[in-house]
Amino acid sequence: MGDSLKRLLQRLIRRIPTQMLKLTLEKWGRLTKAQQQSMDFTQPKWVLTERLLGICEENEWTVKHITELEMIYVMDNPNQGMWNAFQLIDPEDDFQSVELMKFKEQFKYHLGELVKHVSVKMKKHTDEAVWIRIAWGDSFSRPNHLKPTYVVHQLQAPYVYVTSLTLKQKPLLSQALILATRYQALKDANLSGRNLTAIRDLLMRQYQQVFPTRYPSPLAEKNETVSNTHIEREQAMFAANRHRMSCEAFGDGTLPQLQSVVYKLETKFRDHTNKTMSEREEPFRCVVKFASTNILESLRHCASSGIVSTPVTPLLSSIPLKGKNYFVITDNGPGPSSQKRQPQS
Amino acid sequence: MERHQTSVTRTPLNSVVVQRRSKSKSYRQSYRSCLGATSRLGFTPALTAQRLNASRRAPKSHDITKKVNPEHLNLLMKTEWQLSYVTPLYQFRHTQLKSYSRQLSAFIAAEKQQGFAVEVDGSHSFRVSFSVVQGMVETDHDAETILIQIHSSPAFARQDEPQKSVWRGCLTCINGNPDYIHSLLKDFICLPLFGSSGPQGLTSLVKSWFQQTFDCYFGPLEISNTSLQWLVALWTNCHTESNIQHLKMIWTLPAVPPLQVTYSVNPEDAWELWSSVRKAHQEENEGGEKAKDEAIVDIEEVMRFMQCLKSHFYRHFRLDLSAGSLDQVSTALGSAKSNGRIKILNSKYMITTLTLLTECALLKMPI
Repeated sequence: MGDSLKRLLQRLIRRIPTQMLKLTLEKWGRLTKAQQQSMDFTQPKWVLTERLLGICEENEWTVKHITELEMIYVMDNPNQGMWNAFQLIDPEDDFQSVELMKFKEQFKYHLGELVKHVSVKMKKHTDEAVWIRIAWGDSFSRPNHLKPTYVVHQLQAPYVYVTSLTLKQKPLLSQALILATRYQALKDANLSGRNLTAIRDLLMRQYQQVFPTRYPSPLAEKNETVSNTHIEREQAMFAANRHRMSCEAFGDGTLPQLQSVVYKLETKFRDHTNKTMSEREEPFRCVVKFASTNILESLRHCASSGIVSTPVTPLLSSIPLKGKNYFVITDNGPGPSSQKRQPQS
Repeated sequence: MERHQTSVTRTPLNSVVVQRRSKSKSYRQSYRSCLGATSRLGFTPALTAQRLNASRRAPKSHDITKKVNPEHLNLLMKTEWQLSYVTPLYQFRHTQLKSYSRQLSAFIAAEKQQGFAVEVDGSHSFRVSFSVVQGMVETDHDAETILIQIHSSPAFARQDEPQKSVWRGCLTCINGNPDYIHSLLKDFICLPLFGSSGPQGLTSLVKSWFQQTFDCYFGPLEISNTSLQWLVALWTNCHTESNIQHLKMIWTLPAVPPLQVTYSVNPEDAWELWSSVRKAHQEENEGGEKAKDEAIVDIEEVMRFMQCLKSHFYRHFRLDLSAGSLDQVSTALGSAKSNGRIKILNSKYMITTLTLLTECALLKMPI
C-alpha cells in the first residue's frame, strides 16, 4: 500500500467524527460483514484508523475507493468549507438543459483536454444535484488528492457552488463547465458562506419570500396584555412599526444562514458639518464587513430593536432580494452595483 | 444594555452621552469614581489624575532605537501583551535583579513541586531572567522599565540545545503623573503597567511572587472605549510620517445573534478626514483665549473624528455604531483590544502608546 494512499485514508478518518464513522462506512459498503463486525466503534479513533488501514491492505483498496468514501462524507456534511456561488449566463440559442450522462461525459472530456493530470469523480445526490470532486495536478505532477475542489451543480438551474478553488484553477473549471452545459459564460454571483443549503436557497428563492407591498399591516397583536397608559401605547406603536418594517425587509420566517456581508464603499463623504471633506472630489474609500452566526437574523433583530433605523436601507435589504453578500457601492449607480470579487482574506 | 437603549432610534449626533458613559467605565474600579464623574472643572485632588487627560501631545516620531538596546526593543514589540495594572512595589531595587531572578526561579520550581499545574509541555526546568530596558523613560520621575523572561529546557534536551523562551513580561511607567509619583512614600517604586505574554499558569505564578515579595496588587487593565478612540486618532495622526496601511475598527452590536461590524478605512482618506477635523477645530479656537499649539491633540478633535466616521457609516446603513461597543482598533503601527490586549508594531510611536496606557493604569490606583 502506497504511502500517499495511507495518508489519504488517515486524514479522511481524522476528519470524520467517531459517532458518524459507523454510518458513513455502512453507506460506503466496502467492508465485508465480518470486517464490519470486527470494528468496535467505542474504541479510540487511532485504534479504528489502524484497523481500517489493515483492512485497506486486505481488500486492496485504491485511491478510487477512498475518494468515494470522502465524497459520501462531504455530501452528507457540506457545511465545512467556504462555498462560493457562480452563475452560468447567456445560454446558447438552441439551449436545452443537458441530461446527466451527457454532462458527466462532456465535463470530464473538456477538463481532461485542459489539464493533463486531473482526477474527476461525480455522484448524483438525492436532490437532483451533481457533485463533482476534482483533484488537480499539472503537466508534471499527479493529481493531489489531499486538496480536492468540490463543485455542486443542479442541471436545471444556472448556478454552480464551489469550494476550495484556487485562482489558477478557476478559469479551467469555468471553461469546462461552460462547454459541458452549453452556456457562454460563468459569472461570480458575489455570494459566499459556509452553509451550502442557505446559499442555494437564497439564489433559488427557496425561502419564504417577502412582498413588501402586500405585507399585512398593521401586524396582528401578538401580546394583548399592554396596559392603557399613553406612553406604553405609543411605545408599542413604535415597536410594532419597527417590527413591521424589519419584516418587510427580511421576512418573518426562518432566514438562510449567512456568515458575513461585505460592502466596498467608494462614495463621496457628505457631512454638512465638515466642509473640507464634503467639497473633496475623490470618494471616501472604506470596506465594511458585517459578521454574525446568522447575519440576516442579526440584521432583522437590529431593525426591529431600533439599532438600525427603519425603513431598512436598500443596501441591507438587497442581501436577500438580490441573493448576494458582496457589494461594491459607488455614487454613479443608485443601487448596489458589483464587480468581480476580490480574493478575500 | 442600558447604554444601547438610550441611543436607539436616534441619529448618531448624540456622541456626548455615549462619550461620557464610556469614560466613566474606566473609573469604575478607582476608589474615587464618584469624583471622576463630576465636571472637568471639578475638584481634583493632587494625588492622582482623576480622569484621562482631555488633551495630549501629538505623537512625535521618537527614535528610541538609538537609546534602547535593539534586542530589548524587539522583545517589547511584535508581542501581544495582556495588560494588568500593578500598585506601587515596596522595596523594589533595580540593583537586585540578579537576586530576583534566582528567587523567582526557585519560587516557580517550588510551586511546581507542590503540584501546581504549569502547562508548558515537556519542560522541566525554568530559568528566569530580569533585565532593565535602559533608555525607556521619558522623564526623570519614570522608573526604568523591567523585562522578565522565562526560559525552559525540554526534559531530554541535549547540552547544546538553546533554551526556549516560554514567557515574557514587562513592567513599565512612561510619562507617569509626577504628582502621583512624588506623593508615594520613600520605599515605593511606581511601575503601574504590567504586560504579560505566555501561558496563564506562569503569569499567575509571577504575579503571586510579586505580590508576596513587594506587597503589591495586580488587577486587569481593560482598554476603555475612550482610550481606543484616542489610539485611533493618535495613530492616524502619524500617517504622513509612517504609513498606517489601514485604519481598522471593530464594533460589537447587541443584536441577537451578536453582530460584529468591521470598518476599515483607506489610510489616505482617514488622514484627510483627520486633518480636516484638526483644521476646523483650530479655526474655531483661533481668536479665542489661547492660540492652539499644533502639537496638542484635544479630546474634542478625537470625538469629532469618530463622529465623522460614524456618520459616514450611518448615511449608508442607517445603523448607529454608538449602539455597540468599540472592541478593537488596529493600524500598521499596532493593535489594541478592549479586553486589554495590545501589540505595538512600530517602535517610533511606542512611547505615545505607552504613555496613554500608563495613564490608564494610574487611573486604577487606589489611594
